[in-house]
This record gives sequence, structure tokens and C-alpha cells, in this order.
Amino acid sequence: MLPPLVQLTVNGRPLAVAAPADATLLDLLRDTLALTGTKRACDRGECGACTVVRDGRPIYACLTLAHACTGHEIRSIESLGSADAPHALQSAFAAEDAAQCGFCTPGQLMAAAALLATNPDPSEDEVIAAMSGNLCRCGTYPKIVRAVRRAAATLRHADPAGPERAHG
Amino acid sequence: MAERTGESPKRRFVSTTVEVEGRTEERVVEVPAFEPTPWDRDAKLTHVGARAPRVDALLKSTGRPGYTTDLQRARLAHVAFVRAPVARGRLTQIDWADVRAHPDVLDVLLHADVPARTRLFSPDITYVGQPLAAVCASTREAAERAVRAVGLRIDPLPHAVTVEAALHAEAVRPGLTNNLMQGAPRVSARGDVDRGLAEAAVTVTREVRTPCVLHSALEPHAAVAEWEGERLTVWESTQGIYRVRENLAKALGIPLTDVRVICEAMGGGFGAKNYAGAHTYAAALFARRLGRPVSCVIDRGGEQVDTGNRPSSWQRITLGATRDGRLTAIVLDATVPLGIGGWEGGPGEIFHELYACPNVRTHETFAFVNTAAMAAFRAPGHAEGAVGLEIAMNALAKALGMDPLLLRERNIATHDQKKDRPYTGNRLAECYREGARRIGWASREQQRAQAQRATPHRRRGFGVAAQVWSTGGGPPSYATVRLNTDGSADVLTGSQDLGTGTRTILAQVAAEALGHALARVRAVIGDTASGPYAGNSWGSMTVASLAPAVRMAAEDARRALLEAAAGLLAVTPDALETRDGRVCVRDTDRSMTFGEVTAKLGNVMIQGHGSRGPNPKDVGIVTTGAQFAEVDVDIETGVVKVLRVVAVHDAGRIVNPTLAESQLEGGILQGLGFALFEERRLDARLGLPLNVGLHDYKIPTIADLPRIDGHFLDGADPQANHVGARGIAEPAIIPTAPAIAGAVADALGVEVNELPLTPWRVLAALPS
Repeated sequence: MLPPLVQLTVNGRPLAVAAPADATLLDLLRDTLALTGTKRACDRGECGACTVVRDGRPIYACLTLAHACTGHEIRSIESLGSADAPHALQSAFAAEDAAQCGFCTPGQLMAAAALLATNPDPSEDEVIAAMSGNLCRCGTYPKIVRAVRRAAATLRHADPAGPERAHG
Repeated sequence: MAERTGESPKRRFVSTTVEVEGRTEERVVEVPAFEPTPWDRDAKLTHVGARAPRVDALLKSTGRPGYTTDLQRARLAHVAFVRAPVARGRLTQIDWADVRAHPDVLDVLLHADVPARTRLFSPDITYVGQPLAAVCASTREAAERAVRAVGLRIDPLPHAVTVEAALHAEAVRPGLTNNLMQGAPRVSARGDVDRGLAEAAVTVTREVRTPCVLHSALEPHAAVAEWEGERLTVWESTQGIYRVRENLAKALGIPLTDVRVICEAMGGGFGAKNYAGAHTYAAALFARRLGRPVSCVIDRGGEQVDTGNRPSSWQRITLGATRDGRLTAIVLDATVPLGIGGWEGGPGEIFHELYACPNVRTHETFAFVNTAAMAAFRAPGHAEGAVGLEIAMNALAKALGMDPLLLRERNIATHDQKKDRPYTGNRLAECYREGARRIGWASREQQRAQAQRATPHRRRGFGVAAQVWSTGGGPPSYATVRLNTDGSADVLTGSQDLGTGTRTILAQVAAEALGHALARVRAVIGDTASGPYAGNSWGSMTVASLAPAVRMAAEDARRALLEAAAGLLAVTPDALETRDGRVCVRDTDRSMTFGEVTAKLGNVMIQGHGSRGPNPKDVGIVTTGAQFAEVDVDIETGVVKVLRVVAVHDAGRIVNPTLAESQLEGGILQGLGFALFEERRLDARLGLPLNVGLHDYKIPTIADLPRIDGHFLDGADPQANHVGARGIAEPAIIPTAPAIAGAVADALGVEVNELPLTPWRVLAALPS
């Protein structure tokens, strides 16, 4: 018997993907769709490396059943930008040296993207509150705070209509 | 510029004594054919010392830099381990029937199936979490489900998980006569501590405990193995591709030339990823048996339980000093439970090094116990020892009625006392002064009073601690620099980038020595098939070991380039210089770009060879530094908040200040976790680790971030090596926890001498 289909939108593309009932969104992204930018570091909702954005809100893909995403829109790091055409957050992370080993970085970026989509001018405390579900062991936290605020300023300057569009 | 005159000089191989982790060994070293003239502190450099952006920063921000755990191969199979549920016993039977029948399960490995040199799957169980067997399945989920379905029959045996228990227990693992490392405590002494204590006007004694802490890299240990005929390729998340290659060839009994190890990117190591492990061997063995690529990624539980740790320590420290605060004696008695295996990290070392004192005696008992083996963890031994030593120094300052900073300034070790030789440099006094200025040490009483008026239930405190760590690096390390036909340059070496920025640093050094544009130089690392030997990225020695080899290779290539260009420009090579990717005729406006020269040469290749020469004799090479912490302690809840850490270190030349600051911040944050949150808890009765995830085992989050003011003294150490750089990664963590502990004691007026400084420990220490 074939596994049931999950019907969802991933990075703007509507998809119907076969997934066992117990598959997580992380399994679906990484193992089925080969979108390995989203990292598997703890696989139990402890570290935030698998953070993606569902309908504008950051979620842990490892704690989310794939089938719970039917009818929802998922954005992963692959949608944010590329090395050639980076999102303002990616440019800011690079400029501030906010990635050391880089393994937690995609999750950090997606948590930050979700923050900036709702709060275009976060204070330092607001950045910290929004990012405290994403662990980094290399110690990039000081640089992450600066990078997120730097990206927010860039986006405000570039897009007075609001960062939602810039993020989309 | 490099000197090479007269007859063509040749490299030589000489036998010499070198320092390896505090021991001296006789080794053959290569004396290179020539060594570039050292860049002294006044050298005018363009790329070296610049805040160049990390070369792979944007790639990392896309999530696609090539981690082992992300590798995709057709027909990739997956491995999971069956692990021991008890601390000691004998495995008598494994029931596989249900597992093997499952269609997704491809193969299993037991003790009898593996080469003895892998030491895998022994039926003698010696700790909880020990791999007993492995399952390979077509999906990760199937492998994980299969290991849960395996039935184990075990005859349990008595175990010992504390030093006290191990001293009285039978051997905790086969092959031991007693449970002490090398059979006896390690005693190391200089002078006469009894006389030193008799001479002391003041003595203090303290007992200090430090916790067992876990590396907790976000990318777990992982390997992917693939065979093509007799040849094995392994992708590994590692700090040492060459070491993994050697481990694999030895364990599998195959020639080195048949083994290629690749680490394009890796998600953190911190000392735990220095060797091939069970995951590496299992992936390689299954891949050979099944004829398909195999991935073995350790799950988070396995990662926290069985991939290494910083062992806990108990330390009793006695210090003696004259009335004016000069140390007359330092005495340490320490015990360390290593786990089932390991080596002498040792809290004792720093007691011999950090402070000037004629009489020092350390007595360390390293015991094997029935828990997972320790592994090097960022400044192994020194990070633990600094906690005990610095807590005792603060107690001594209090007993003397002296400023703890002044006490430290009185006792700076101006030379290497262990070896009785000078240092190439020790600017610790400047680090203390600059750090004190930045934190406002002199005005701390006013700062405290002001803060406490605003928040009466909180107590403000300030602490200081220092560090010393050998960071000279050394040979062997090799590099090749080649110019491509378009004038771009490749730096080839068998190093790897843990996230420290090795790729960036090596490109900066090569661009400097070539006189090239940085954007046109790329470091090609992380592949034993393309880069010549470079050592593990450990011991804070990558830059000091490898940058000189890269510089020499680039100088060698540059010389060849000038020789080739001389004919094209109709001058002699000594009339030429290089600048920003151009070969220029001195004192004229005639020049050619590197690309114009190499295009004329076609596939005649300009390449240079570089090797790391020996370290200078009879001199110690260390990084020193001081850190200051400001904390706020809530006396109602016991919660410690670190507000500020000021760090000032002297690491010789800083090749890239931005990356160096990132390293510093990383060390400080790991030190903060060691001070406040991190502790692997064991059930002492069962030997069972109790907090094996990142939820129960607390590493710092962004919400714990203090203001960090990291600073390096401007300078260079041209005596250490011709690049003038020393190491920084481990020095960064050593003083953090003791500075925080000192600040907490300063805030409360009472000491809390057991880390981590959890709220309940703080509350228990407060007078009721």
C-alpha cells in the first residue's frame, strides 16, 4: 500500500508528496525533497537547527508531522536567497561573521526571517526573545544579534512598504 | 622577502626533541630548503591582519556547504547502533530474529564480523552506551526501529563510576591491573612545597569541583563510506582528515593509498572529532559488505553519551604567600574520573605555568571508571585547573586583604618555569591593564553601589582570571600553491575548516605572500586526495603550524612567477615585484597581471612547495590573556546573570581580527556554559547518564549572552614562526568560568566552589 499524500506548498511550489503517517516535515524536506539546507541536529525539538517557516511562523520541522502540513505553506532556507543573490539577512550574517561552523545558521536565518516579517524594527531584546529557540555551540550569538538588526535596517531602507514582501 | 642565494639550498631531515601535549619526544623534522624572513610587528601587510570576510560565509548562509550529514548518494544505506543499557557486564546473547526478517534491514554487524583493530562490539560491556552491534537498513527510520527491536541477554557485573569506587573495585575493563591511568597517580613537582608553606605568612586551602561537560556540537559525528573496487572514500565530520585516513587504513588493514577522506564542511568539533570512530568503521565495513554507499550518523542521544566529554574534577588547592602577596607554594591534590578510556588532560598543568612560584607540587589521580571515555575538549585540563587555581587565588587575595588583580600582577610568570627557559613573549601584564581599564576595575565599588541601589534583591560582582596555553604549533605541515592559467591561485593542503575560518586565513596568507588579490586566491582543503599532509585542527595550532607552510609555498610560487615574467618583460627577476595581482618592474610603470603571465605560459605550471620548519629551540611559545566578568546575582532566586565579559589576550599576530573575535566569543560562551549550566548528571547507582539531550543538558542560548568585549594586543611573534602568529581557540575558554566564579563570590561575599553555579548551589551557599 502506498503511503498517503501530503499536499502542501514548499518554497512557493505546490506539491503532493507521499509520506508515511509518522514522517516528520524534516524527513519530508530532507529525505524526500532533498532540501538538505534544513539541518537535523537533535531530531527532538531541542536545538532549532531544523527551523522552517509555516504560514509565516517559525516551527521546528523535526517536531512537525508531515501530514500536519497539508494545506499549509512551508518556506525553508532554500527559498531565502542564494550565494549569488542573497537575502538581506544572509548578507548581514556574512558581513557580521554570524556563522562559524554554519550548521545552525539556516535555522537561525529562518527564525530571523519570521521575526522580521512581523517586526521590521526589532529591539535587541526582541531579537533575543525571537531567536532563543535556536542553539549555536560555536558562539555566534553576539554576531547574530547584530546581523538581524543590520538586516532589519537594510530591509526598512530598501522596502518602505514593509519587509513581508522582501521576505517573500 | 625570501632569501635564497648562492648554491641551491636543500631541505634536510634532522632528529630533534619536540613537545607533544606537554611531553617531549624524539622526532624527525624537516628543515625546509629556505624559510621566508619573518614578518615582524612593523611589517607592512595588506591582507594579513585585515578584517577580510569569511570566504564561505554566504555559502553557509544558504545551508549548502557540504556537511557529511547532508550528503546524498544513490542507494545510500543507514546505520544505527545497539548500545549497552548497563554499566558493566557480559553480553551473552543477541536476539536478532525479528530484526533480520524485516525487508528494510540489509545487514547486521557483531563482534565476530569486524576486524579486531576496530575494537568494535566487544561483548565485555564497560559503560552505558557502548556499541554492541550495528544494523544497516535502507532507511534511517528502519535502522533505528531495528535496534529497538533487538533483544539482549546480559550477565551484569559490579561497576564503578566514581574515582572512590574505582580505587577499591576490580578492574573496570579487561586488560587493567588497577584502575589508575598508568597504574599510579601522577606527581609533578619543583622546589620544596613544605619549605614554601613554612615560609608563607598566609596560607589558604580550598576544595573545588568542576562538572563533566559535553562537547555538544550541533552536527553529530557522522561518516559516509563508499567503495570503488579496493578503494575507499569516506566523508567524515572531522578535525583531522589525515588522522581518520590513517585510522581507517590500520583498522581495515588496507594501504593508505586506497583510502581517501573528505571533509568539505563540518558542524563543530571542539576536540571530540579527532579520530575515526565506531561510526566510521561501521560505515566502511557495511559499505564493503553491501556494495553500496553507507551513512552512519550518530543520533543525539548517542552523541551526548558516547562521543567524548570533559571529565569532572575534584581539586584541593593550598596556596602560600608572603605578606606582600608573593606566592611561596602551590599545592594541588586532584582526582579525575576519565571514563573507560582517555588520557591525562590534567588540571595540574596550569598550576605549574600560570604564576611565578618556586615551589609547586601537583598530585593527580586519574581513574578509569565505567562511563564513556573522555575526549579532548577545548583546553583539556587547563579549563578545569584554572577554576581551582583562580578560586584559590581569590581566597588568598581575601586573606591578604589585597585586590585580586594586584595579587595576580605580583605573580606573573615571566618565563617558562616548567622547562626553565624564556618565553618568546608574555604580555600578560598588558592584558591585565587593558582589561582592567575596559571593565572599569578601579571603579567597581561605585558601579556595584549604583547597581544595588536600583535593584536591592540583586548583588553585583566583578571577577578576574588569567590563562596560559602553549600555542606554538609546529611541523610537519605542507602546502602547495599553484597559479592557474587565468592567474587565479589555489592553495592545496590537507587541513580542514571546523568553522574557525581556516579557508579564509590560508587564502589571506597566500595572497599576502604572492602579492595577489584576495578574491583570486582559494584554499582547497578537506581532501586527502588533493592536499599534502596537515595535522589535526586541535591544540589551537592550525594557524601557527600551517600558515608558515602556506606562506613558504606562496613565496616559492611567486619566485617562479617572477622568473617566468622576467623573460617576458626583458628584465632580471630581481627588478620585479608583485602587487595586487600584477608583476611590476620596479621604479617603472611597466607591469603584467598574473593572468597575462600565466596565459603566455599556457599549461607550464607555476607552483610552489611549502613546509613548516622546526620551532626555535629552548624557548616556550604561549598565548596569555586575562578575562574580567561582571555578574548580577538574584539572591531571592539564586539566578546568576553574566552582564559583561572583557577579554584581552596576546596571541602574536592576528591574521584576521574578525575571525579571531568570533573564536574568542565562542570560547567565552562555552566557558559561560561551564560556569553556570552545563553538567552531565549520572545516576551513581546505575552509572546511567540522566541528561542526554540538549533540553536537559543546558548549553547557553542567545538569551544568556553577556556583553562581550574581546580584544587582542596588537603585535607579532616573529620568533615563534615567520608569520608571527600563535593560537587563540583554547586560550579563549580558560579564564571565563573562573572569572565568573570569582565575580559571583565577589557579589555574594561567600564562595560557591562547585560548578556549575546553579541557582540551588547559590541559594545553599547564602547565609540563611
